[in-house]
Amino acid sequence: MTSTNGAPVSPPEAVEFPPKEIKKECDEIVARYPTRMAACLPVLHVAQRHFGGWVSPEVEAGVAEYLGVSDSHIRGLLTFYAMYNDKPAGRHEVWVCRTLTCWLLGAEKLRETALAKSGCEKPGMTSPDGKFLVKNMECLGLCEAAPAVFVDGKPHVNVSNEQLEKLMDACE
Amino acid sequence: MAKKYPETKILSRNFGVENSWTLDVARERGAYKSLEKALEEMTPDQLIEEVKTSRVRGRGGAGFPTGVKWGFVPKENDKPKYLVLNADESEPGTFKDRYLMELDPHLVLEGCLLCAYACGLSTIYIYVRGEYPLSIERLEGAIEEARKAGFIGKKVLGKKGFDVECYVHPGAGAYICGEETGMLESLEGKRGHPRIKPPFPAVEGAFGCPTVINNVETLAHVPWIVEHGGQAFADQGIQPDPDNPKALGSSGTKLMGVSGPVKNPGVWEFEFGITVKELIYDYAGGPLDGREVKAVIPGGLSMPVLTADELDVKMGFDDLVKVGSGLGTGTAIVMDDSCDMVEACENIAHFFADESCGQCTPCREGCHWMEKIFARIKGGEGTPADLDLLERLFINIEGRTICALADAAVWPLRSIIRKFRHEFLAKMPGTDAADGEDPKAAEAETVGAK
Ligand SMILES: Cc1cc2nc3c(=O)[nH]c(=O)nc-3n(C[C@H](O)[C@H](O)[C@H](O)COP(=O)(O)O)c2cc1C
Ligand code: SF4
Ligand code: FES
Repeated sequence: MTSTNGAPVSPPEAVEFPPKEIKKECDEIVARYPTRMAACLPVLHVAQRHFGGWVSPEVEAGVAEYLGVSDSHIRGLLTFYAMYNDKPAGRHEVWVCRTLTCWLLGAEKLRETALAKSGCEKPGMTSPDGKFLVKNMECLGLCEAAPAVFVDGKPHVNVSNEQLEKLMDACE
Repeated sequence: MAKKYPETKILSRNFGVENSWTLDVARERGAYKSLEKALEEMTPDQLIEEVKTSRVRGRGGAGFPTGVKWGFVPKENDKPKYLVLNADESEPGTFKDRYLMELDPHLVLEGCLLCAYACGLSTIYIYVRGEYPLSIERLEGAIEEARKAGFIGKKVLGKKGFDVECYVHPGAGAYICGEETGMLESLEGKRGHPRIKPPFPAVEGAFGCPTVINNVETLAHVPWIVEHGGQAFADQGIQPDPDNPKALGSSGTKLMGVSGPVKNPGVWEFEFGITVKELIYDYAGGPLDGREVKAVIPGGLSMPVLTADELDVKMGFDDLVKVGSGLGTGTAIVMDDSCDMVEACENIAHFFADESCGQCTPCREGCHWMEKIFARIKGGEGTPADLDLLERLFINIEGRTICALADAAVWPLRSIIRKFRHEFLAKMPGTDAADGEDPKAAEAETVGAK
């Protein structure tokens, strides 16, 4: 591996995975499938939840070792699936749906509110104070109650700008 | 006033019942009776025949006859066989399966178990999109209860040789994993890159083994079919057209929904036969005060739009195809007269560009390209030649890719630029439409549209 200026860098040191708090849960997941690779998605969910809302290169390497796949396989999943974060997440994660029904019912304003309130420069970035990560998401399947947002994994529907501000105010 | 088209309560019979998702309540209301009946009275082949007789078609968007699909699973094969239940429901504007999973997870499981019995499947994976936390929780709870009660596990209900396991597999945010082979890749722990078919999943699916893939709502119909017989199901809804072998009819009932700027968005169940107009006006309450319906996508995002004067068509598989659209997921998105169709196209193109898995050049490049063209037109920098360019792009994308995501991008966009051409021209400096003249005249003046 080389850094951007060409100097060699050492590969990340894998964390011990799974740590004891989530070992049972991870082992049970692995047992559901005929291959270890198949456990990647559910195990990454558990790992991300356990390690502060994102999967660092060290966690990535730990998960890879545990499931017998390459680091780059895990990296490929982190960049493909919208729910995983491969950069430090904020302490709180706000998803704003941007797809047609929500867009028709005011999602753009909600996104502006979320960005302004959090100080995030643009969707997908964490605020400078590390408090919020605001993400644009595609249809969240709550269209009959659009516009929809998620705050820290919980859905909120028929959300007004004021309500979104309140939800974000309630985040510590 | 004409009588309102009636609602039906078959799939939705337990919606609104207190604690409907628990085994106790579900059993009081008849859950697993059909499974007991099938295991006692029917052979797997008889069950497949019954489903064929019902003419039930897939509710995931493609409308393939379910009994026929089940018949493709090879019988003489030592490999384990799988059911992957498609609970990804990431088609925009679609939320019907969520109701079933949250409010009647035991109905969903019973449907899965009947499918497993009919096709000789040993493991059920329910692939639920990761953004449905409550669905995941309710399904996992239901699986636990069903296992304890002997509906899942070794020798289901004491039936020798019928062993079946069931797990929830959470997705992680990718529309393409709703495509059946993208889903299989994702289940196997990879990026959701759709596979080239054949081989079809029934022969070589999950982990290289025979696999049935069905939508949640599709399988939720099966318990009723077992209870009342396939013919009773087939007698409901819209009959096949004897003069058109492709028109397989729309038998049974369907969860239908409406979202967008209407007074009462939601989901309801109907025997097939209700029109788009009745659904939007009589159930969804019509447009907001002072607004008019401008366009409707009848099922999800991936179908061609209907204009306000095309809504007298039935919400049926063949009926909507006949008018150049499609039933898709059966959940309509309404756009009203405040909607700028150029911006709507930009929004739609962005979705597909975002969600393209990137394997096929026409899809990967084409969706971004279309989005850029719409952005250009929106910014007042488009010319009528851009509409021709879009038409050429459509030709070079549609039918030239591994999966149907690319087609799904073309269909709504093409229909919008053809049906609302004047709105695009009105943003192009120098056209008559932009100068405020009669939009129809402006349309006639321009080149391109077929
Ligand atoms: C891009 C794309 C996305 C799809 N998304 C879904 C989905 O979210 N849910 C679903 O049931 N089917 C979806 N489908 C259809 C599936 O590929 C498949 O046809 C369906 O699950 C089969 O089940 P059925 O016959 O019961 O409808 C999608 C298809 C494509 C091309
Ligand atoms: S059509 Fe698009 S989404 Fe489908 S396989 Fe090709 S690139 Fe992927
Ligand atoms: S479009 Fe936002 S939840 Fe469906």
